[in-house]
Amino acid sequence: MASRSDQAARDHLQRCFVLHRRNFSNTSLILDIFSAIHGRQAVLAKGARQHRRGRPAGGEILQPFRPLWLSWSGRGEVKTLIRYEAAGPAAELPGKLLYCGFYLNELLVRLLRRGDAHENLFAFYAAALTALAAGEDVETVLRHFELRLLREIGYAVELDREAGSGRPVAPGRYYVYEQESGLRAAGTGDGRYALAGELLLGLAAGEPLSGPAAKTAKLLTRRLLAPYLGTRPLQSRELFRQHRNLSL
Amino acid sequence: MPEPSLLNQLVDALRCLPGVGPKSAQRMAFHLLEQDREGGRHLASVLEAAMERIRRCKRCRTLSEQELCGLCAKPNRDDSLLCVIEHPSEIVAIEQATDFRGRYFVLGGRLSPLDGIGPEALGLDLLETQLQERKIEELILAISPTVEGSATSHFIAAMAARYQVRTTRIAHGVPLGGELEYVDGGTLAHAFAGRQGVEQS
Repeated sequence: MASRSDQAARDHLQRCFVLHRRNFSNTSLILDIFSAIHGRQAVLAKGARQHRRGRPAGGEILQPFRPLWLSWSGRGEVKTLIRYEAAGPAAELPGKLLYCGFYLNELLVRLLRRGDAHENLFAFYAAALTALAAGEDVETVLRHFELRLLREIGYAVELDREAGSGRPVAPGRYYVYEQESGLRAAGTGDGRYALAGELLLGLAAGEPLSGPAAKTAKLLTRRLLAPYLGTRPLQSRELFRQHRNLSL
Repeated sequence: MPEPSLLNQLVDALRCLPGVGPKSAQRMAFHLLEQDREGGRHLASVLEAAMERIRRCKRCRTLSEQELCGLCAKPNRDDSLLCVIEHPSEIVAIEQATDFRGRYFVLGGRLSPLDGIGPEALGLDLLETQLQERKIEELILAISPTVEGSATSHFIAAMAARYQVRTTRIAHGVPLGGELEYVDGGTLAHAFAGRQGVEQS
């Protein structure tokens, strides 16, 4: 089975994104890629940084946020890149949107296991990049991506039902999210942590977020992601914070 | 466990050089030992001295033996222009190829959150102090147009905006002597967006 998929990977160009690249030896790159069919893979691009007679080798298209066709071979942990072609222009992420892109990539690198296929997530990721580049509301795009990511890696969160009783979440009422169990109706004393029913239903249905709801949603998804991210802080979040401090 | 022989230690030590694998390291070691002991001794002493004495210029962060590097110490450079680059080697390239006569600032890399390289690692706090204290009229960003490079440029531009310093970046486009057919689409799009008037006299 493994050998057949190996062969397939060698023969066919796969839809991929580069999540991260780092230099390796003098002229090569090691890429952390996200493929539609093969999930996250580590791939060595030999000679991709080499200039021949002043002409770049073409490795400059192996950049994050650019849809690519890649093929690779090998059985080990690090595969060898065979062919690469651009599958379209890179998502134009100016300024702060670029940090959002890094954030998506960091989430994927931290949360996806190598080799696990996530075809739906690949489509969501591509759509999120397109939405960011098209100038859609950043908070909405990020929150929905986070929730989809959780669902795809098997930690789905039910935002439209109370845990235990299974009663549907109703607009106009308030709820509290408990890390171990899930949603429960808010009581007195939950004021600070209470989530409006409208917000939860909106998140569950993938509707746009606005104003204070966006802020609450951000804190909620941050709490939802925290147990799976471990103790190491997200570097892209840190970069965002430092950038915000600059403009204060 | 017995300590590896001195010869093995030498071969291993040489492998820290870029592009030197076990075979080349072995060849170098034998060459130095059998044919060029004098050269080897000289290399050792210069290497020792360089590792000890070369550090970062306190103003531009390039490599220098002095507190201030040669360029920063020169009085006849234009203090109102500051060019931000990634690596010390780029100073040489810019000095040779252009008529830029301002000052430099060397980052030593690019912002890369996934590698844990943040603003402090690039000395951006030092750059901020300079933006604050020196009269800089133009900050020129000569940073590679990769994704990480763009993030770095954006961060520095936001910092410069805080001190009302005009920020420019070098042009991105088709290399001289390059053929449009072979230029990647992204570069071509940049080159198109940044087109300039042609002299028509």
